[in-house]
Amino acid sequence: MERVDIAIIGSGPAGVSAAITARLRGKSLLLFGSKELSEKIGKAHTIQNYPGLPAVSGEDLRAAFQNHLDTMGIQVTEARVNAVYAMGDYFAVQTANETYEATAVILATGVVQGKPLPGEEEFLGRGVSYCATCDAPLYRGKAVAVIGSSPAAEPEAAYMAEVAGSVLYLPLYDGAPDLPATVQVLREKPTAVTGEVTVTTLHTDGGEYPVDGVFLLRDAMAPTQLVPGLEGKGGHVAVNARMETNLPGCFACGDAVGLPYQYVKAAGEGNVAALSAVEYLAARKRNTKE
Amino acid sequence: MVHEVHKNDLTQALAADVAVLDFNATWCNPCKMLAPVLESASQDLEGKALFYGIDVDENLALAQQFGISSIPALVVLKKGQPVARQVGFMPKPTLMQWLNGVL
Ligand SMILES: Cc1cc2nc3c(=O)[nH]c(=O)nc-3n(C[C@H](O)[C@H](O)[C@H](O)COP(=O)(O)OP(=O)(O)OC[C@H]3O[C@@H](n4cnc5c(N)ncnc54)[C@H](O)[C@@H]3O)c2cc1C
Repeated sequence: MERVDIAIIGSGPAGVSAAITARLRGKSLLLFGSKELSEKIGKAHTIQNYPGLPAVSGEDLRAAFQNHLDTMGIQVTEARVNAVYAMGDYFAVQTANETYEATAVILATGVVQGKPLPGEEEFLGRGVSYCATCDAPLYRGKAVAVIGSSPAAEPEAAYMAEVAGSVLYLPLYDGAPDLPATVQVLREKPTAVTGEVTVTTLHTDGGEYPVDGVFLLRDAMAPTQLVPGLEGKGGHVAVNARMETNLPGCFACGDAVGLPYQYVKAAGEGNVAALSAVEYLAARKRNTKE
Repeated sequence: MVHEVHKNDLTQALAADVAVLDFNATWCNPCKMLAPVLESASQDLEGKALFYGIDVDENLALAQQFGISSIPALVVLKKGQPVARQVGFMPKPTLMQWLNGVL
């Protein structure tokens, strides 16, 4: 696959703005996100503080963003990014079906609601995992719990059931999960993970379950989980005024980097991130020529 | 370079002053991404540490012995004793910082 100049992750105001500026500067790019661009745009009733668009509805602002992308020939790649690996001279951007390559990356993923489960961080790698397809074979014959935040987690739970001794599935959404009969569906809210050296127990509002592993399959990953090695600060990505993160070539903008959560701030920062990425690409080119 | 371990045979690594064990599998994407980073780290640290790649499918007994429950997992051994471990992909600078702190 051909390597693009810039991969932009997230199609809210920050990502859209970054894509527009990157394209104006003649960079090749990938914009990852969704058809509706961002739930947070369409859902807003009236927006009073977007310059030039007084009292615009969320739906109209979304349509205006889409129109702007269309006129510039920018397509949204409708895919969820699962991981971004800093390989040194490039980034590997991984989705469920493909791995893309980009020289620079702009994170515009918005904020993730919800705190980690008590014990989650403590037992990460010692019974807590975010990737069933990665770690399932290590749980051959063992008891595991899978916590799914949307139906997208169901195939991973089904795969788990082929390998593990027993699988408890806790859906954090309504509707009947489509799972093999060997999976026991538990309509309870997880409250904590405890253990000794490794995980021993999943606690819920309904009881305690002895397990060897707990798989947390969330739709929205915190950027610091998405990009191993990325530095965070108080639940956000740590950046400087140029929107640079601690990883060279990786930039971040919008709600992902901190308060206030505002459309114009997100769009403004997306512009800065794109210009910094353009500069980074130019500096790299100079260095490889020398 | 990273030496491959076969048939659960860790004799060489246990005898080394410093050994870095990389537990991985062919179906694990982050493991695949970490491999070239480790290869490059092993070259930088030549003479200071020996590196061993351990496929957990082929060497399940070793994975169990070291209590590996997520991969990729790195375990540093000093004279055969585990002194540090890390789970997950790391970019080169992060990996080097961690290894230099441990070695
Ligand atoms: C109801 C409501 C009303 C609001 N009203 C106002 C207002 O009047 N004025 C104002 O200034 N602000 C308002 N806000 C705040 C505003 O919505 C946010 O500040 C803004 O949307 C942030 O933009 P962003 O681009 O940083 O992130 P977002 O808009 O959250 O966009 C992030 C996008 O990235 C995608 N994404 C995340 N992770 C991944 C991944 N791993 N792979 C692929 N895609 C990914 C998400 O699906 C999403 O589409 C309002 C918010 C809400 C919810």
